[in-house]
Amino acid sequence: MISTRKFLRMLFGGGLLAPFLWLAGKRKSRKAAFLWQIDPDKCIQCGKCETACVLEHSAVKCVHQYAACGYCLFCSGYYQDKRVKFDTAAENLRCPTDAIKRKYIEDPYFEYTIDESACIGCGRCVKGCAAYGNGSLFLQIRQELCKQCNQCRIAEICPSHAVTRVPADQPYIFKRPPEVKT
Amino acid sequence: MIPFLAQARFPAPEFENYTVPQLQLETLVRDPIAWRVSALLIFLVVSGLCFYRWRSSKVMRLLALAGVVIFGFIFTACPCPVGMFQNLLAAFVHGQPLGYGLLLLFAIPLAAALLFGRLFCAGACPLGAVQELLLWKAIRIPVPVDRALRFIPIAIFLFVAVAVVAGMAFPLCSLDPYLPLFLWSCTIPTVAFLVLGLFVSRPFCRYVCPYGVLLRLFSLVSWKAPSVTAQTCITCRLCEQGCPNGAILPPESAPTSEEQARGVRRLSRLIAVVPLALCLGGILGWIAAPVISSTHPAVRLLADIEAHRTGDAVEAFEASGTPLAQLQNEVAQTRHVFDWGMPLAGVLLAGAVMAELIAQARRRRESSSYTIDQSLCYCCGRCYAACPLNRKRETRKGTAT
Ligand code: SF4
Ligand code: SF4
Ligand code: SF4
Ligand code: SF4
Ligand code: SF4
Repeated sequence: MISTRKFLRMLFGGGLLAPFLWLAGKRKSRKAAFLWQIDPDKCIQCGKCETACVLEHSAVKCVHQYAACGYCLFCSGYYQDKRVKFDTAAENLRCPTDAIKRKYIEDPYFEYTIDESACIGCGRCVKGCAAYGNGSLFLQIRQELCKQCNQCRIAEICPSHAVTRVPADQPYIFKRPPEVKT
Repeated sequence: MIPFLAQARFPAPEFENYTVPQLQLETLVRDPIAWRVSALLIFLVVSGLCFYRWRSSKVMRLLALAGVVIFGFIFTACPCPVGMFQNLLAAFVHGQPLGYGLLLLFAIPLAAALLFGRLFCAGACPLGAVQELLLWKAIRIPVPVDRALRFIPIAIFLFVAVAVVAGMAFPLCSLDPYLPLFLWSCTIPTVAFLVLGLFVSRPFCRYVCPYGVLLRLFSLVSWKAPSVTAQTCITCRLCEQGCPNGAILPPESAPTSEEQARGVRRLSRLIAVVPLALCLGGILGWIAAPVISSTHPAVRLLADIEAHRTGDAVEAFEASGTPLAQLQNEVAQTRHVFDWGMPLAGVLLAGAVMAELIAQARRRRESSSYTIDQSLCYCCGRCYAACPLNRKRETRKGTAT
């Protein structure tokens, strides 16, 4: 036989559990796992990604969609707006850490590659490429670096609400053509 | 993943002998949540064995060390069960994704509390484990102050709940002072809490942690209860002094008739002020509502737009092409949530305060020994070490071998 006291305790315990079970049962999305990711269509390259991440070296890096690149001689992601001249002196380059590597392919085309170990995710090149170029550079949270914080610090302060949770089986968001933008 | 151009100002060149490289990003992302959940389960079982079988404060200290290493540094602390009620609320109110793993992470420590008390706090919680290891010279906090400060976690819990329902980013996650530690960095709150933790036992657990509120509730009715000693208590009070968390309850004798009469009077007075307290809580919440809602990003954005201020958020809003009416609508909704939620939270907080006062005013069950109040016990085992009866047995064993 259960004593009254025990019974009351069980009742209390059940009463505590019930609201949480109910909340859990009501949740809408039931996929197994989610990761944080930047929607490049929303990002305005404000530069906060560089410093907001909990990691000392931000998990956000620039990635290059080669297939969308114009291989421009005067890459607007590579060169500063106020450059003195088009040469590879640091004051002419946009990237503060010289993370963009430039390689001659054939006249007049150059291939641009991001050195991810040097990239700090500041988004300056992305801004330049989006403003004057094809928009082939964009920022992504690199999932193998990201710690998957419960609340991404970047999502918390991102002015454009570009950082959202994505299903773990689609961990990256690439750009879409302008006409199918939702 | 088919690449698309956002804009095509320049056509893709045609190369003679160069193939355009493909953008390759790892699609197979390791999902550590299953590991985390299994580790938590195993750790809780071990904690239970250590706390109820081994009964040694040294073993519990080792357990805390293991907890810091495993859950703090290997799993980098976040996401941990402490913040998980935010996810649950966000999933329910906003349909935010919530995986099974996180749900289990939230539920397992509570289930353990329902069965064995706050085993989770012993070491499986990286925040608690750090504080456990740090305590160096415990300052005794006067009981009334301690009791008053213990209402802060309830207030934080309620505030965080309202904020999450209102669509703010999880406020608790930015409140956690220990997370930077596990990422090998440091902030001012981290240092402050670490230094405080040298002299005050578990400052975060006792006076901040909102998950502790749930654990406290759940462990109120836990199935198995620890006892300071297996032998008959000699009421030496040493365990009460040994517990840095104020979790030891003194013996309760049968009341004299005078005491009883005084108790009844106090109780009736307390019950009489309950409605007053609830009203006061509601009013305080109502006063706080506009202050707090003005920190919501959408509210701030609208204020910026109306005042023609510029900034990243305004720029992003204009770039997104969202109609202003939609933002106004969102702001109105946010304000609505705060206007109702904060007074409600105030009432609930006042209710919790009154419930605690009443619980303390009423007589406990008679008992002739010092007992452990499980709802406040972090399973550190210090009282086991403090009890002379336990010590005697140890020395006897020591001399025998
Ligand atoms: S914080 Fe947001 S808008 Fe700013 S660079 Fe990062 S993703 Fe883009
Ligand atoms: S400009 Fe910034 S985002 Fe672009 S490659 Fe350099 S460091 Fe990375
Ligand atoms: S989830 Fe954490 S680690 Fe990942 S990008 Fe956001 S802040 Fe950085
Ligand atoms: S009280 Fe909170 S922070 Fe402290 S050990 Fe328990 S769950 Fe962790
Ligand atoms: S085990 Fe619990 S009651 Fe005993 S000293 Fe530790 S916190 Fe206090």
